[in-house]
Amino acid sequence: MRFLKGVFVAKIAALAVTALAAHGQSLNSTAQGRSLLKTDAVTYLFPEQVSVPAGKPSQVALHFRIAQGLHINSHTPSDDFLIPTTFSIPDGSGVRLDNATYPAGTVIALPIDPTTKLSVYTGEFVIQARLVATAGNHLVQGKLHYQACDNNQCMPPKTITVAIDVIGK
Amino acid sequence: MRRNTLVLGATLLILAIFAWAGWANWEYRRQEAERLLSGAGQGELVPAPGGGTPQYVSPLNGKPAPAFKLKDLAGNKVSLESYRGKAVLINFWATWCGPCRIETPWIVELRNKYAAQGFEVLGVDTEGDDLEKSDKAGWAKATAAAGKFVAKEKIPYPVLLDGDSISRDYGGLDDLPTSFFVDRKGVVVAAQVGLTSESDIESKIQKALNQ
Repeated sequence: MRFLKGVFVAKIAALAVTALAAHGQSLNSTAQGRSLLKTDAVTYLFPEQVSVPAGKPSQVALHFRIAQGLHINSHTPSDDFLIPTTFSIPDGSGVRLDNATYPAGTVIALPIDPTTKLSVYTGEFVIQARLVATAGNHLVQGKLHYQACDNNQCMPPKTITVAIDVIGK
Repeated sequence: MRRNTLVLGATLLILAIFAWAGWANWEYRRQEAERLLSGAGQGELVPAPGGGTPQYVSPLNGKPAPAFKLKDLAGNKVSLESYRGKAVLINFWATWCGPCRIETPWIVELRNKYAAQGFEVLGVDTEGDDLEKSDKAGWAKATAAAGKFVAKEKIPYPVLLDGDSISRDYGGLDDLPTSFFVDRKGVVVAAQVGLTSESDIESKIQKALNQ
């Protein structure tokens, strides 16, 4: 009887190990599958949390990164048909965007059309946001609106959420 | 007694592992299904023979071009079906797309060159990609921007609005410009994503005319 119990437990354990191995394999497959999908053109880096004096305008530097090989229009694009990069904070979040200062764009030209100059951001860029927060803890869902291209094609305009925990003291 | 407790504990632990592995397997299948769904209809770039411009191979190649009926800038409804018997270039674009603006004069020139042979272009504007249907002011602004561009470039072919409503049928249109070349029988014979060259576009027009 004792022997049979031992065999039963051993068999169950072997099956569990097999299941774990299969699970590990499926996770690897998922990771490979996901790497084929497109990543976001722009990623918000930091800060995730800031403390500011309640009721007083405070400067906060918001850091973003643009995916390699892509560019987005600066806040002041070279032509009025291009979509500018803009940052905003929805009303009612307890934090108001008093002002936003954007970096100057880098002037580039597409290889196929060297005569047309574009004002763009590439790599990392920083927006200086002047925030006014009421007292308390506010989870702000800021919005960055942009439109990204590479040298040959463009992606549709997109708005990403910039989540910042703003503590007004 | 103690041994029985141990065996019971081990069995429960193992059963918990089974349950977890089952859930993980289900989650994996769900994610994989989502991934496949998101990639449905999307093509791929394949290297051209001799190392030329990579060619976009759409899953629509060799298949009938998906039917559509969209309004033009004047508000008239235009269907793809009404161009049966002509070779058609369906060119998805937007005014905010720099590469689209570069290729438009090429397309205008080629349209005028081959029109007499039975070739037409349908420009499909996807201006309002991030607009809600209810955003009337946004749509009016987008339509005005498209009209301004059409006038500036002296575009002689129909420009249709709300291309996003048919984007799924044409592979999602993640990037612009995107073009589909349709032969006289309504079959897609070539496709292109991104800016290539006037000669590349011309060769595909000729292919659509001669199929």
